[in-house]
Amino acid sequence: MKQAKYGLLLYIFLALPPVASLMESVMIVHMHMQLTLLVLSGFLMGTFFKQRFASFFNNWNQSGVPGVILAVVIWAYWMIPRIMDETLTMHSIEIFKYISLPFLVGVPLRDSWKKVSYTVKHILYIFMTINFIVMGWIYVAINQQICNNYLLVEQRTLGFGSFAFAACMIIYGFIWIFSERKEHQQSS
Amino acid sequence: MEQTIKETIRYPKKLLGVNPNDAKVSLAYLSVAFISLLIGGLLGLVQGLERAGLIELPSWLNYYQVLTAHGLLLLVVFTATFTVGYQFANLSHSFGGLLPKVRTLAWVGFYLMIIGVGMVVTMIVLNEASVLYTFYPPLAAHPIFYVGLVFVVLGIWACCLGVFINYRHWRKNHPGQVTPLLAFFAMGVFVLWFFASIGVTIEVLTLIPWSMGLVETTNVMVARTLFWWFGHTLVNIWYLVATSAWYVIVPKIIGGRHFSDKLIRLVVILLVILNIPGGFHHQIIDPAISQSIKFLHVFMSLSIAVPSLMTAFAMFAVFERTGRKLGGKGWLGWLKKLPWGDVRFLAPMMAMLAFIPGGAGGIVNTSNQLNQVIHNTMWVVGHFHITVGISVVLTFFGICYWLVPYLSKRKLTPKMNKLGVIQTIIWTVGMMLMSTSMHIVGLMGDPRRTSDTTYGGHEVAASWIPYEMVFAIAATLLLIGVIIQVYAVFHMMFLSPKGQTEFPVAEPEEHAPVAPLWTERWGLWTVLLLAVIAMAYVVPIVDMIMNAPPGSPPIRTW
Ligand code: HEM
Ligand SMILES: [Cu+2]
Repeated sequence: MKQAKYGLLLYIFLALPPVASLMESVMIVHMHMQLTLLVLSGFLMGTFFKQRFASFFNNWNQSGVPGVILAVVIWAYWMIPRIMDETLTMHSIEIFKYISLPFLVGVPLRDSWKKVSYTVKHILYIFMTINFIVMGWIYVAINQQICNNYLLVEQRTLGFGSFAFAACMIIYGFIWIFSERKEHQQSS
Repeated sequence: MEQTIKETIRYPKKLLGVNPNDAKVSLAYLSVAFISLLIGGLLGLVQGLERAGLIELPSWLNYYQVLTAHGLLLLVVFTATFTVGYQFANLSHSFGGLLPKVRTLAWVGFYLMIIGVGMVVTMIVLNEASVLYTFYPPLAAHPIFYVGLVFVVLGIWACCLGVFINYRHWRKNHPGQVTPLLAFFAMGVFVLWFFASIGVTIEVLTLIPWSMGLVETTNVMVARTLFWWFGHTLVNIWYLVATSAWYVIVPKIIGGRHFSDKLIRLVVILLVILNIPGGFHHQIIDPAISQSIKFLHVFMSLSIAVPSLMTAFAMFAVFERTGRKLGGKGWLGWLKKLPWGDVRFLAPMMAMLAFIPGGAGGIVNTSNQLNQVIHNTMWVVGHFHITVGISVVLTFFGICYWLVPYLSKRKLTPKMNKLGVIQTIIWTVGMMLMSTSMHIVGLMGDPRRTSDTTYGGHEVAASWIPYEMVFAIAATLLLIGVIIQVYAVFHMMFLSPKGQTEFPVAEPEEHAPVAPLWTERWGLWTVLLLAVIAMAYVVPIVDMIMNAPPGSPPIRTW
């Protein structure tokens, strides 16, 4: 429950108008930090929803896979460059961002995470890594501005940032395979 | 495992006390540290006297040469060698001896660093590298100066590798156990060191061909950014080293228990992950970084205040608890029960107390508007003499009074303890005097890194002179302090009476919960650290490179 409170605090913090507009003023912060932190806030608040609506989650997300699929679809939607523009210009999309990312990505992921097998987790991990690589490649290679609201240089930056994240994920993947997985399985 | 058993048979004394081979490693590093302190301190006095106008340097020695040597010898050589010596002793003690190959790596690191420092110092002495310890371009030193720096970094990497190998080895042989606290700190220190030095290594590798004339220009902004990626992190490496003594050693010395294991490890993890991006608070006045990015970085560097405040809280909780257990009554009565006459306590305690004004000053420095006032004034010099000069250095001094006799199998005599107490008082008074007057005169506009600040006798400049006189007095006191300290260290190393000295490691409170195993996920912490670096540095660096101004050719101003 403590986690849920921290999640709620984080959510409120992110929703404060000055925080939101500062984060949205830099493309990479908008996409990499704001979106992930929104998901994280939902992930933390998830403990509350799991307790409160236990039967709902049991009915609809018994195996955990539906939750993962929902999360992936919504996340993929937010990776479309044009949506970035829309959140900045259309109020309704901005509101949708603050609802969909925590509650349709973070919360279901939280519920699914303990239920799904290692295979599903690994697939999800690899999907995210590839997602970052492809995004990075698109944003670095393209010579046109794809968002009206952000300059080309910011777009490139976002591309390099995505590569950096992909690199982190790959490094962690190796660390997981070669050391932490064994320890994890020993201790649990 | 087999290796350790064989070692134990070969060195049966190891489990009883220090492994003599490991002790040699640590003592070698500590010797270099205190020789550097002696030279660096002497140069400090020269600077103090020159600034006060009491001496004039001869024509063959220029102020910036002295300042470069002072900065590098104390800030880099003294702290780095002390840290390695102390941390390897901690590791050896916690793990019951180092692995032979780790010991070899420590020696490799030692010689690499010696070679590197030799090259650097030679170039400074030859007046080929008066670029100050920050060695920012466009000031260009002789290429050998930069090559020397590369050797120093390689030496540090050898030590890092050694620590990582020994850590993995221990963990493999102790499944399901958390590492001893001091070893956990050592991991934090060396992980941070490794990733900190990557920034400066990239910088130096670009400066070598530039200083040789192979490339014409260099990107100054990128170099400064890479330097502070390292420079700022170095500060927190010292801080982490000092806190390892505050959390684990000091409670034992005062007869108490250490604070919650889990909280301590959490502090280490937070410091490791959040640290590197703080570097930008050294560049608040730099152009080419946008306001919003600077703002995010101020936020990041203030987030370091969280683990610092946790530390302050935990330490004073331990003091109060122990003082009350020893019979201290009333609101502050417990303070009296603490062993003020024991240098092993007094020195780190003074260090901690100095961290209160030091930390407050740090918050001033990192705030945009306030930084405009104090940037590049003596305030900054006052700030780091109180933080490094007292909080870090005095903790290191205090450590010596048990570590050196422990390593050399000698005793800390009451006489030596008394000398240590006197040294601590001299040092505290001297540094407080010097840094307070530096802070004040900085607010009045006195610039740092300037040999002559009379400005033709202008009245504003004249108003600085009394404060600069205080530097000179304090510098004299400090040199006395340095001499006593260096004497004490070498006395305890070679001359003090033989005997056994305790390695004071505090125990947890009774019934305290064991630290959870997830704290040992160093792979995860490392990746989070990398992710945080990426978040902080990708934006400005891509911007600096893509929108680069014309680069700068090497410039020699002296
Ligand atoms: C023996 C006692 C010491 C004295 C008398 C002393 C004195 C000074 C003085 C007068 C400056 C003047 C700077 C200027 O012109 O801007 C200075 C700079 C400096 N000191 Fe010390 N200091 C002492 C100890 C230390 C210690 C222990 C450290 C660090 C471990 C240290 C690190 C530095 C650094 C990094 C600088 C700045 C160099 C630069 O701006 O390039 N000092 N010191
Ligand atoms: Cu800093």
